[in-house]
Amino acid sequence: MQIIDRDFKEIFTSEIISVLGGLVAGVLLALYVQKLFIIPSLIVILPGFLEMRGNISGSFASRLSSGLFLHVINPLKYSTRIVKGNIVASFILAIIVSLALGFMAFLFTYFVFGVFLVSIIFIPLIAGIIANAIEIAITLFATFYLFRKGHDPNNIIGPFITTTGDITSIVSLLVVVVVMI
Amino acid sequence: MIHKNVIKHLLKIRRLKKNEHHAMLYKVHKKYGISKRTLFYVKEYDNSNITRTILKESVLILLLASVISSLGGFALANVKTAFFSIIPLIIMLPVLNDMVGDYGIIISSKFSGMLHMGRIRGNILMNEHLRKLFIQIMIIALLTASICSIIALGLSTFATTLTYDIALKVFLITIIDVIVLVSILFIVAIAAGIYFYKKKEDPNNFLIPMTTSIADFGNMLILALLVMMIL
Repeated sequence: MQIIDRDFKEIFTSEIISVLGGLVAGVLLALYVQKLFIIPSLIVILPGFLEMRGNISGSFASRLSSGLFLHVINPLKYSTRIVKGNIVASFILAIIVSLALGFMAFLFTYFVFGVFLVSIIFIPLIAGIIANAIEIAITLFATFYLFRKGHDPNNIIGPFITTTGDITSIVSLLVVVVVMI
Repeated sequence: MIHKNVIKHLLKIRRLKKNEHHAMLYKVHKKYGISKRTLFYVKEYDNSNITRTILKESVLILLLASVISSLGGFALANVKTAFFSIIPLIIMLPVLNDMVGDYGIIISSKFSGMLHMGRIRGNILMNEHLRKLFIQIMIIALLTASICSIIALGLSTFATTLTYDIALKVFLITIIDVIVLVSILFIVAIAAGIYFYKKKEDPNNFLIPMTTSIADFGNMLILALLVMMIL
């Protein structure tokens, strides 16, 4: 059994890049932690918010990869029915999940702190729309690019998505919090 | 030139309901030599309601994933004073979430691929492909966790003074967190992957949200527990 093979190297390399990107997000978080968590319920939804793009874009990339490997999707054509259907579905999912997170933040604020703050629903919603608009586009182009270059997108795209997703999410959340509060 | 019968059969497959495709897929596969994976994909996505198919299969699991992750957020909220006073832990929070989530995605997509390709047969514990994947992911996880904690500790020295004791504890927390979570993710991915595959669904749509939410929830929970126990 050969442990250090092409897969190992691809996963390890992409993880190292992911760690470095994640550290950038972590430093941003450490710098703005007081500002970001001025609303305590944001701590509660932060894991779900950070994870959302991984879930949506990860499945999106995985479906695209399967289609590319099976030659059902043409790696040179973005504007096909399957790709468009995937993009629309991913975006709708992002809106639904962001809204659900907004409601969770609202309920937490109401039941734990006794504060009726409807506008808190819009923080993850708007931030989610901004982050996912960027992330879905990045995922699409990266998956096609990696496949065309002869890589297995499954090995690389996960770490890539979560890293870029963390940075876009924390920045978009911060922007929305600063603008709205 | 594609035989007319092949096209006729593929069109039939596109019209099949999700839970009734197997007999026909098998027949088409045997007769025309088209791979089962291709036929599966045609059945799953090559129909007129592609967006609806994805939404229908994904929305509940994604909502559930958000709820589970938020439970992890509750755990973190409980130890926020201790947690947010240790700068290396704040820096590592997105990294650890990413890393464990990444392994969730890699394990899920690789295992889904193995299922589609028929590489998972017989005793799972003795399956060479699976054992290799586990060893590879565990080695990479330990290496990256070590690198990440060393860099985070280094970066923290710009903002605060770290004692050797705290640095060692942060390093230990990271390593224990990663070992426990990678093991849990493997167990969940295998059990759920086989379950969904047997239900004739694409495990990709279920495993990734499931493993990443377990990764996030587990990460927050284990971090909160370790912070309480060690710091």
